[in-house]
Amino acid sequence: MEDAKQSLNNLFKILTRNKAGFIGLIIFTVFLIIAIFASFIAPYDPMAMNFDDNGAIKRLQPPSSSHLLGTTWMGRDVFSQMIMGSRIAMVVGILSAICVVFIGTNIGLIAGYYGGKVDNVIMRLVDIIYGIPFLPFALILVAVLGPGIKNIILAIVLITWRNSSRVIRSQVLTLKNRTFIEAARLTGASDFRILYKHIAPNVLPLSLVYVALSMASAIMTEASLSFLGFGDPTLSSWGKILYSCYSSQAMFKAWWWMLPPGIAITLLVLSGFLMSKAFEEVANPKLRER
Amino acid sequence: MDMYNDLLLNIENLDVCYKISDGIVKAVKDVSFYLRKGEVLGLVGESGCGKTTLIKAILKLLPSNGYIANGEIYFKDREITKMDNEQLRRIRWNEISMITQSAMNALDPVYKVGDQIVEAILTHKAVSKKEAYSRAMELFNLVGLEKGRLNDFPHQFSGGMKQRAIIAMALALNPEIIIADEPTTALDVVVQAQILERINTLLAGYDGSMIMVTHDISVIAQTCHRIVVMYGGRVMEFGNAIEVLKEPNHPYSMGLKNAFPSITGEKRNLISIPGTPPNLLKPPKGCRFNERCPFALEKCFHEEPMLQGTKGGYVACHRFYEAEDLRAEAGKEETWMKIRKRRVMV
Amino acid sequence: MRSMKYILKRILQMILTLFILVTILFFLFRVVPGDPVSMYIDSGLDKESQELLLKQYGLDKPLLEQYIIYIKSMLRGDFGNSFQYGKPAITVIGERFWNTLVLMITSLAISLCIGVFGGALLAWKRGTKIDTVGTILVLAVRCAPVFWTGMLFLSIFAFKLKLLPLGGMNTPGTNFVSLYDKFFSADFLKHLILPALTASLYSAATPLLVMRSSMLEVVKEDFIELVRAKGVKEKKILYKHAMRNALLPVITVFAVQAGFAIGGSVLIETVFRWPGMGREIVLAVSARDYPLAQTAFFLIGTMTALFNLIADVLYAYLDPRVVIN
Repeated sequence: MEDAKQSLNNLFKILTRNKAGFIGLIIFTVFLIIAIFASFIAPYDPMAMNFDDNGAIKRLQPPSSSHLLGTTWMGRDVFSQMIMGSRIAMVVGILSAICVVFIGTNIGLIAGYYGGKVDNVIMRLVDIIYGIPFLPFALILVAVLGPGIKNIILAIVLITWRNSSRVIRSQVLTLKNRTFIEAARLTGASDFRILYKHIAPNVLPLSLVYVALSMASAIMTEASLSFLGFGDPTLSSWGKILYSCYSSQAMFKAWWWMLPPGIAITLLVLSGFLMSKAFEEVANPKLRER
Repeated sequence: MDMYNDLLLNIENLDVCYKISDGIVKAVKDVSFYLRKGEVLGLVGESGCGKTTLIKAILKLLPSNGYIANGEIYFKDREITKMDNEQLRRIRWNEISMITQSAMNALDPVYKVGDQIVEAILTHKAVSKKEAYSRAMELFNLVGLEKGRLNDFPHQFSGGMKQRAIIAMALALNPEIIIADEPTTALDVVVQAQILERINTLLAGYDGSMIMVTHDISVIAQTCHRIVVMYGGRVMEFGNAIEVLKEPNHPYSMGLKNAFPSITGEKRNLISIPGTPPNLLKPPKGCRFNERCPFALEKCFHEEPMLQGTKGGYVACHRFYEAEDLRAEAGKEETWMKIRKRRVMV
Repeated sequence: MRSMKYILKRILQMILTLFILVTILFFLFRVVPGDPVSMYIDSGLDKESQELLLKQYGLDKPLLEQYIIYIKSMLRGDFGNSFQYGKPAITVIGERFWNTLVLMITSLAISLCIGVFGGALLAWKRGTKIDTVGTILVLAVRCAPVFWTGMLFLSIFAFKLKLLPLGGMNTPGTNFVSLYDKFFSADFLKHLILPALTASLYSAATPLLVMRSSMLEVVKEDFIELVRAKGVKEKKILYKHAMRNALLPVITVFAVQAGFAIGGSVLIETVFRWPGMGREIVLAVSARDYPLAQTAFFLIGTMTALFNLIADVLYAYLDPRVVIN
């Protein structure tokens, strides 16, 4: 069990040791750096319309030295929109992932450890939440509560904790009868201490799998909601770029407008997926051979 | 000569290797022996000595990283090592069938046991499904299972019942050879005895030959005519079962005999051979048994022993000519304690 | 008979889930800040009609009573009137329901085939170029936003190559005598290809990856070796034994995937302007037509539950080890 603890201390090592995890980490880091320095990198205000010397809107201009990824129908700079969009993706991804897994892990720990009625009630709740169509629900929630990044994160968190809690619970079920837990109980450790000092460190690798996966799914959900027109109206997220592109009817003509957001979302979601695979091998050593 | 006419299986200088990430494991090295019609051949050795690899090689059932590196396997006058997949397929089960080591997982969990026996029959015989099914009933009767159980799924069977079902399946096509790979290891002791009993009675009514793989020398004594003693992927001794057990010529055979209760019923202490089998990725120089052999000489660490003829077979030992003296020594526990001391010193 | 009992039990469970779904929906719309009445009654109506509707829906009553009225009217199939269409919401959605169902069944069936056979192929060709390239491709499809893939397909196959229509479900102006006519006309099938392809590629990715690793596990099993020892032909070993066993975990993830796909129909239907429930829910929410949105949500939930039920029953049928009781 010390082993699990040690490998957690070397989170970085886990990711670099594994080829998939390493690629994921690199993609993620690149996007993170872009997001942090976004306001320095972006040459234009992403929401500002750009005009040429004659005062006409620079509509749908293909990539050039002044507009690296061209302009939109409204003459906005796609490159700047992309750069600023990485910030939103990162904020939504990281914040939701942390909330989702924090809630999911704790609920899983409690359900698995206490068992009986508590477990039963929680697991039925999880079953029901599994029955809720995620995207339609998020859509209605955001529409009712008002568009905004906070409500988007809320919708994501309300639903997706189900995934991690179910898996963590079954892990706890196998852990709680192990001898080292028995030993802790015999020395008179409190439930709280057993749960968070002894069991939690052992489910952490599994939680990390879900951190990476939840990040990916949160980014995808934000993009989807924005694409459907329910994004934060004040921000230019990747999903929203695609929304404007689709609804302007110009998507067939302006590849520079349509391709970059899709590629960026795919890469960032992929990075989460690849990192989750690396964590999964730590959480489940049986997979390592494959 | 008569000797060649009834030769059913003949293995000559067989090498089998596995390719793994750390290199090539020579799991079976320079193995030769033969099986005659109607004979039961025992294949003994500790786990990991290459027994299972050897028998998998006979039917070319090696995993994808395993291959026959050298040598020939003849089934009657046909060379198995040169057969293509289709020729092999026709021989499998029809002429050589097997009772696998772990009956627990040997049956496909999603099909009824009866259907799996029927599948074996229909693969090789042009009979109707009904005929195949009635043959399956007959076989179940033979191994002492109710024929209604043919409709059960494997998970509804106990370990012993599964093993019986596999025995029934192995007999289904009346093959010339049945290979039983440690048929009792996965079972508990009481059931083990039952299954062995069952195999013995079946053998009485079965005119084919059998290869019995085991690490239990007492099983050999009960059932086998001939014996192959393997160690570290090589044959240490091959010969008439009774003779080898009575008067082993190889120190390893002597050690094995010590490790099991006497077959003649005489009372004595069981002595195990200290140490562990060699790493086949880097096999020791000279005789493979040298590190654990109480009689090893300087020569045994440098030179691989040649095969030397014995009464009904051969042995691979440099000190074969002193076998009689060694046998006397090997009966004493101190002899084997010496190796333990030697190992500590090294 | 035991299996009948099992199915009955699952149906009861499904009804319970739907009931709770409806309850969540009810409170969601009432607990929210702002005037809940405006969410139910078209503010464009005159005062008198508003009052009348207020009474009719019992919106002047306490919350608990409202809830009972709400459930009762739902049981009668009364989901309220759509503001936009001026018709009962259920009538509007009823038609959309079939359009979504046809698209979903088609794409889920295709995705199951792609997942099972594609995964088996990659596992069989393990370590070769086919495996490497295939896995990367599947990962890319799995991680790309499905609406973006749809946009790409539209640009390539509809706009550039002009092979397929740009969206919708049939060419405007065509009329069909019957449902059969509608769903089996060449025109409809042409419109179906791109959305079904996009949805099925997306839904196939996860089952495919599961099938691949499940196959790699199964071929190592002892029973596969025994079947080979029996002299069964390699092709038959692959189909009848290896794939059949590897299929089991695929069914489990496929159930989850189906739920996901049905939720994702909001994206596919929006991109391809497919007149189904998913697109309707987006339009309804945008137009603040809440009775319509609620109805669509309820039916999408029902469809999800139905697919889950089918997957469970299928699993129990495919795996004899599942004890049904």
